[in-house]
Order: sequence, then C-alpha cells, then structure tokens
Amino acid sequence: MAIVKNQTPHIQCVNHDERIAERDFEGLVEELNSDNPTERRWAVRDLTKMPEASSTLVARLKFEDDASVRAAILNALAHLGDNVAIAGLVSCLRSEDAALRNEAIEVLKEAPEGVEPIINNLLNDADSDVRIFAVNILESLRHNNVEQWLINVIEKDPHVNVCATALDLLSEVGTEHSIPALKQLKIRFVSEPYIGFSVDLALKRIEEGSH
Amino acid sequence: MKHILVIDDAATVRLYHRNILETAGYSVSEAINGIEALEKALVKSYDLYVVDVNMPKLDGYGFLKEFRRHEDITQAPAIMVSTEAGTHDKALGYAAGANLYLTKPIKPNELLSYTRLLLGDVA
Repeated sequence: MAIVKNQTPHIQCVNHDERIAERDFEGLVEELNSDNPTERRWAVRDLTKMPEASSTLVARLKFEDDASVRAAILNALAHLGDNVAIAGLVSCLRSEDAALRNEAIEVLKEAPEGVEPIINNLLNDADSDVRIFAVNILESLRHNNVEQWLINVIEKDPHVNVCATALDLLSEVGTEHSIPALKQLKIRFVSEPYIGFSVDLALKRIEEGSH
Repeated sequence: MKHILVIDDAATVRLYHRNILETAGYSVSEAINGIEALEKALVKSYDLYVVDVNMPKLDGYGFLKEFRRHEDITQAPAIMVSTEAGTHDKALGYAAGANLYLTKPIKPNELLSYTRLLLGDVA
C-alpha cells in the first residue's frame, strides 16, 4: 500500500494588519502580481487612492483572470476617472471577452464626467460593435444630452443594429423632439421589420407620455 | 403548448420576439439577463431558449455554459441572437452550448422557421 503523505494545502493568508500597514506604490505594484487573488484585490483597493496608478491597473486588467480582482480593477479605474483610466475602460469595449465588455459598460455608465468628453468619438467609432456599446453606455448615463446623442445616431449611423440599439433606448427616454428622426428611420430601414416595430412602439410611448 | 424563454436586456427586443412567437401559438416567458434566466430555467423546464449575447450581470455565453452544466435540462435547444456577426462570435456561441446562432435584427419568418425546426414542429 502506498504511503500517502498528509500534505497541508498551501494557503496564503493575507493578514489584515499587513494590509493596513503603510505600503508604497512600488510595493503595491509588486503585490498586484502576486499569485494570491486576495492579495491582488487588496493591492487594487489601495492603489485606487493613488492617482498615478491608472496605467498600472490598465496593464494588469489585460491579463487578470480572477473575476473578483478584475471587477475591483474596473471599479478602481472608474473611481480614478483620469484620461488613462477611461481609455483603459474604453479599450475593454474592443475585447473578445463578452463578460469583460459588459463589465466595462456597466462601470462606464457610472462615470458620466469621464465619458462625456469621449462619447462622440465612441459613437463615431469605425467598429459598429463599439458604437453599439457606446449606446449601451448612454442607457444609464445621467446627462442632459442623451436624447440628442441618440437622435444623431438614428439619423446618421449606417448600421441597422447601432440604430436598433439607439431606438431601444429612445423608446424609454425619447420625447416629442425625437419624433421626426424616428419617422425618418422607419423609412430608411423599411425592409427591416424590427425597426418598424420598434419605431411604432417608441412613437406610441412618446405620444402616450405627452398626454 | 410549448413554452419558450426569451432572454434579452432590451425590453423592445423581448416584446418583438414575444409577439412573433405568441402569434405562432407558443407560450413565452421573459428574463432580462443571464442570472434571471438561470433562476427561471433551474426551476422550470422550457422547450426552447432564445438568448441574447450582451447582457449585464451574466451574458448569454455565461448563461448557456452554466445552463448546460445541469444534465437534466441540457436537452432543451437554445438559439443565440446577437448583433455580432463574426465567425469568432458564432464559434463562442456554439462552444457555450447554442444550437443555433442568429444575427440581429431577426426577421419574423426567420425566427419562426428555426423555432419550429428546433422544436420539431415542422409540418
């Protein structure tokens, strides 16, 4: 009979006292590359307080495979909110990883100040998928210009799915101001039943809302 | 009556699919993301799932992967629908467990034809 050694699993514990001990930027960057996700998560949390951390967090995001650490990095970038952080979040919209894309969209929705200066560029991106994600970001963005951005999309964007996504949102936030653009969209995509259905629904909701 | 679960975060899309499927005699329930869909699918067996890809909380790929782990309900077919038409996106959909991958916007006849085919309702 083979002898089986009773091996104690190697578990790395993070001592709370260690975490709250003073830690400099270099130390946190080193901890960000730890094998232990808990240590990495704490490093992200502490780096959130350091304005120079954005590029480091963006770099880590590209290969971070632990969902909780990834979520922490995304939230940290939204909190930091500088140009590098927002650019890092936007780069996630081009990821092949649908979960990462969706997480980035949810975080960007909560960062209206950071998104406002770049939303026009995103809505005019060469990649129609990025334009769709930009419309998704507008969904919860508390900004006075949301309806006008959506009207611009349905008036000009050549891709049916970008328009359809904007149309879904206009059904909820559109006012009488959107009506001419909605009617024009139905004519522009006359062969697409979904566009016709959605435009009729949006017009009905707007008219009901105005009474 | 066969029961279909439509999973999409866009209310207009859910209503569009519901109208098409109910007009053809199917019963339809809705879920607004992958988490809500899993909660419903693990309590009640549906005959077919129409699944969007990009949704908050849990996307369509994540839903299908988790859903297919449950052997008792893995036989139900799933149609994945997405704005993304690339070969890579389709491959991911099939790898996650989709029986069919359709690109939005879907025409009513297209959705009904594939629904009937997957449910064995072809005359």
